[in-house]
Amino acid sequence: MAEPVLVLLPEPGSPLASGSLEALGAGRALAAAAGAPLVCAVLGGAADAAAEAGERGADRVLVARLGDRPSGDALVAAGAAALAASGARVAMVARGAHVLELTHRLAARLDGGSVTGAVEVRAAAAGDDVEVVASVFGGAARAVYRFPAGGPRVIGLAPGAGEAPARDATRTAEVSQLAVEAPADARVTVVAPAAAASGPRLEDARVVVSGGRGLKEGANYALVRELAELLGGMAGASRAIVDDKWATPAEQVGLTGKIVSPDLYIAAGISGASQHMVGCSSARTLVAINTDAQAPIFQYAQFGIVDDCTAVLPELIRLVREGSSRS
Amino acid sequence: MPPMQIVVCLKQVLDPDGVNAYALWGRLRVDERGTGFVADSAIPQIVNAYDEQAVEAALRLRDAGVDCRITALTVGPDAAAALLRRAIAMGADAGIHVADAAGPGTDGFRTAALIAAAVREIGDVGLVLCGRQGSDYDQGVVPAVLAERLAWPFVSMAAGAQPEGGGAGALRVVRATPLGEETVRVSLPAVVSVSNEIGTPRYPSSRRMMEARRIPPVVRPARELLGGEGPRAVELAQLFIPDVQGHCEVIQGETPEEKAAALLRRLRETRALGG
Repeated sequence: MAEPVLVLLPEPGSPLASGSLEALGAGRALAAAAGAPLVCAVLGGAADAAAEAGERGADRVLVARLGDRPSGDALVAAGAAALAASGARVAMVARGAHVLELTHRLAARLDGGSVTGAVEVRAAAAGDDVEVVASVFGGAARAVYRFPAGGPRVIGLAPGAGEAPARDATRTAEVSQLAVEAPADARVTVVAPAAAASGPRLEDARVVVSGGRGLKEGANYALVRELAELLGGMAGASRAIVDDKWATPAEQVGLTGKIVSPDLYIAAGISGASQHMVGCSSARTLVAINTDAQAPIFQYAQFGIVDDCTAVLPELIRLVREGSSRS
Repeated sequence: MPPMQIVVCLKQVLDPDGVNAYALWGRLRVDERGTGFVADSAIPQIVNAYDEQAVEAALRLRDAGVDCRITALTVGPDAAAALLRRAIAMGADAGIHVADAAGPGTDGFRTAALIAAAVREIGDVGLVLCGRQGSDYDQGVVPAVLAERLAWPFVSMAAGAQPEGGGAGALRVVRATPLGEETVRVSLPAVVSVSNEIGTPRYPSSRRMMEARRIPPVVRPARELLGGEGPRAVELAQLFIPDVQGHCEVIQGETPEEKAAALLRRLRETRALGG
């Protein structure tokens, strides 16, 4: 596999979001194993993403200027241009809001094949190709996929598919603009955008404390927020309590909310439905606090407390506060 | 003006909650072929829940006054035809069964090619609705590839759809995004994938269940639709069960206070928590 490995970063964030960092890490690992260069394509978003991609391991960076909130059509056109300009046959798409649509449409447009939910991309045992390990059945099983067709292999990454590469300010990549043929007409137009995020992002927090129905009442979500703040982290929530308006949609973790991969994730009163675990299962250390010892969350947790989270959270808050006042 | 033709795509899946339950009991095993589960026969086949929500989205368009004919479509073996009856009982007008023997983990590119051929054969289709993804393999490949094959616009993750203006030349779709809800306008014909945010699908009445039996699906063999074997883009080579379960260290203690203190100590010892 002498041809370069391509990493696609749709709206990569500034500084690069954790999904973009993991994609660069996964791309660099595959490129290193194959002795191939790593090309990174920044599709829309901030201007300084290109420099950071270079400092984090890309040998060459292609930039497609797409403006704010690029349409799916614009991203697919830019992704196709990046594959053509790089000469790559394998493209990995960073996780985020665009990954499902961009991965599959790009492969279909270029008569290739695609897999999403990739937790590992590796050289196939036979021949000069890649194979993908994907999380399926809500994480209960893994599937190994191969690509029998000749076209590009486009791979959508899941949380934890790569390690964020360290930033090396002495490293620079060759940056060039990508000429993208604008789609002829806007077939999908945004009428009312989602509220733009401001301030720190849940996706980037190193500690996340999340609450679920086990909090018993909305007022107890304050305990989750307080512990999160004391630990220098952010608060998350299950979909159930967002629906109940105990927490805000911005705090939702899971399939339709945020996907987080913090160093520490504390799940308080969350049973561990697969839709929630998709959003947090790549946390380095997962702690579960739940009255039900049979709850699925304990299958994912490294540490578990079988008890009422509304009794344990106040004790954790008190102990952390005492500890920090002593030191 | 003739009614708008709406096609809703449905898939039969191995109940993901059943698969998860076997996994949690530590009893999920991969079969000899390597691409199925030993427990398959004990786990029920159900309608992909996201696809039922796509049926619901179509019915809500009708409720909103769109003059439409709703066709439920599935690709799969003979047993898959049962889910068409359910879609008809919910309110769809007709069913098409694309008969294909390909088994679990079927290449979504092949499925999308089959659906595209069936949609062209129906002719004059204004909207194709799909669930956001199969709740089995979680790939979300069919709606996106279908839109490309038809060269139609694509809107993913719909939490609701309404006709735009008087004539149904466009839809206004509310999408569920990680930042919250976004509203877009899409010109028709289009492919729209529906997310669970749309809410619980309606339950068919027993009268409709009886009536649905009298509306047999049109059967179209896959080979006829494709004029051959069809594309192969992705191959499921192997399934395996990850070793992530059963490593939980249960923190001991008599009181919540003791447990909280023991947890903080273990988190510091394992450097999960600084200081």
